Amino acid sequence: MSEILSVKGLVKRYKELIAIDHLDLSVKEGEIFGLLGPNGSGKSTTINCILALLEYDKGEIKIFGEPMSPKAYEIKKQIGIVPQDVAVYDSLTVYENIDFFCGLYIKDKETRKKYVQEAIDFVALNDFVKFKPNKLSGGLKRRLNIACGIAHKPKLIFFDEPTVAVDPQSRNKILEGIEELRDKGATVIYTSHYMEEVEQLCDRILIIDKGHTIAEGTVEELKGMIKKSEIITIEVAGLDNKALDMVRESNNVYSVSYENNQLKVEAGSGKHNVIDIVNLLQDKGYKMKKIFSEQPTLNDVFLELTGKQLRDE
Amino acid sequence: MFKYSIIKMIRSIGGLFWMFIFPLVLMTAMHFAFDSIYSYQNSIDPMRTILITEGQGVYQEGFEDLIESLSEEGSEDQLFILEKADSLEEAKAKLAGEEAEIIFVVSDGDVEVYLQENHSITSAAVAGSIADTYKQRYQLIADAWEQDPAFAMELVNDARENVTYTVSQKEKAFGAEPNPYNWYFLSTLVMGILFMAMMGINMVGDLRADVSAVAMRYSVSPARKGQMVVTAFAARVIPGIVIVAIQLMVMKYVFGIYLGNDYLKLALFVVSAVMFSISFGIICGLCFKGDVHQRGNKATSLIMISVFLSGEMISQLPGLFERYFPIFNKINPATVLNMALFKLTIGNSAEGFFTNIAEIIGLTVVFLAIGIAVLRREKYGSV
Repeated sequence: MSEILSVKGLVKRYKELIAIDHLDLSVKEGEIFGLLGPNGSGKSTTINCILALLEYDKGEIKIFGEPMSPKAYEIKKQIGIVPQDVAVYDSLTVYENIDFFCGLYIKDKETRKKYVQEAIDFVALNDFVKFKPNKLSGGLKRRLNIACGIAHKPKLIFFDEPTVAVDPQSRNKILEGIEELRDKGATVIYTSHYMEEVEQLCDRILIIDKGHTIAEGTVEELKGMIKKSEIITIEVAGLDNKALDMVRESNNVYSVSYENNQLKVEAGSGKHNVIDIVNLLQDKGYKMKKIFSEQPTLNDVFLELTGKQLRDE
Repeated sequence: MFKYSIIKMIRSIGGLFWMFIFPLVLMTAMHFAFDSIYSYQNSIDPMRTILITEGQGVYQEGFEDLIESLSEEGSEDQLFILEKADSLEEAKAKLAGEEAEIIFVVSDGDVEVYLQENHSITSAAVAGSIADTYKQRYQLIADAWEQDPAFAMELVNDARENVTYTVSQKEKAFGAEPNPYNWYFLSTLVMGILFMAMMGINMVGDLRADVSAVAMRYSVSPARKGQMVVTAFAARVIPGIVIVAIQLMVMKYVFGIYLGNDYLKLALFVVSAVMFSISFGIICGLCFKGDVHQRGNKATSLIMISVFLSGEMISQLPGLFERYFPIFNKINPATVLNMALFKLTIGNSAEGFFTNIAEIIGLTVVFLAIGIAVLRREKYGSV
């Protein structure tokens, strides 16, 4: 796969504040590349620098192998943007909005008409073409926002937190749509602070915080970077300190906590972690009610790498 | 882009209200308010009136001319039957004896009115209106004298030719004579034109990626920014001109407002005023902070103040500024527009008109040059 986007040593300062600090990234053709980080980590700033909207202090940005600049009109023809805020006109209908923004790229009326209809079909807004945006629900507005960004069939699409304040049903539709775009050949750069989405959607992920690269790789590669590989929770009554110490001394276990009859064990990679602990407690005569095991999330990755939660709620 | 820009404007209820509907509603209200006064006067019989002149001077002479012109026997404009009295005491005695209905006492700079004890509403309205109008009119001449003596002389000459300011027929009251009531209609039109600044602010919102997310789509697209600016400006100027043309037609044919005889100059005024307002809006949009709505609200406040200070509600305000703080009239956009239109319709003062138009066009060119230079920008320090 060829490289569609390359960013090397990007630095963006706002006076004393360094918003992006020597950021490197590389996006290959046909992949969904996730840019994950908490609010204010520099995701949107990075996107805006890549799109030549923002002046930056240092670095090199190439799209389709060519340097990106405000006057790089040939490159811009192949780019689509779905901004974080719903960027449509309230006084135009759904159809008119898509036609208007598609018209910035496609001048031929017949081609545009076809593309607009395909975009409407893609986001399933056929029943709402004559509606004004203020008559649409939040989820439908987001879909319109997407349609306006992809109607001209770009090869590289930037989705900047497209699911903020969207209900779960619409969110799933949006995520499915993005996968479909990838399947049709588009390359997608997706920013979000929702780790579940990124985990579900992205082929490769770059985690950033305060403008710094924290980690980069596939979901598996990122999870492999941290010690914790399993979180085991067991509901068991009356555990004494001796039993807890025994659990702590088990293979792969590096963290144990016990509160409100909930035993929580964090373990490193091992094939039989759950069985080992359950056997140990059974041997000591403890009766267990519920047992479950979770894989670490990207939040755990972020927590372990930065010492703080990914979500900033 | 051009087509959708026009559609957006037509569907913008708020914008259309301030630019188009509100001025017409205000004019309609004024029309009905003044119309009733003049219709009322139209139905009245001439009233026995005594005029006493204290001292000699231009002010007294002008008022005598006015009252005499309204007392011409057989004239359709006759409001008074002028009687003589040697002193105020004698006149008051006639008033008490119901031999006269109104006494005017004119001295240097003032006109006093005395009415019968059982005076009618008609006599009170007519006498009060004539005295007040004359005072305002004289003040207008005095103010004009300080600013533009040639223009002031035209007003004086008009007055000397027995041009009346308050007459019985509505079409004359709103007609070709220099009439302070016209000022309110003209400045209402100017107010509507100035509200077109909102279109300039919307242009900033459409084209600056650091102001709105919509503009981000423009900047990321391959469309040329310079072309976008020109198209967006043209898409606002053309509907703006159409709106003002409709308003002018309503003013002329529905409300009977005199708009002068030189339609070429009027067209020049309309085009330059609309372009000025939109470019003024662009500058406001670039200077103010916040989102498009916040910038629009700030501009609305500025326009309201500008229009108020240009005499939309108190017609003497520009005169006061001319006397004590003349630079203010030169920098207040509403006054600059008002004066251009007023001179076009009242004074036949081509020189004065072109001076104001030149000022409007000059400012438009400066505003547009700054606006285009800034709006063409495609890369920002922060978004």
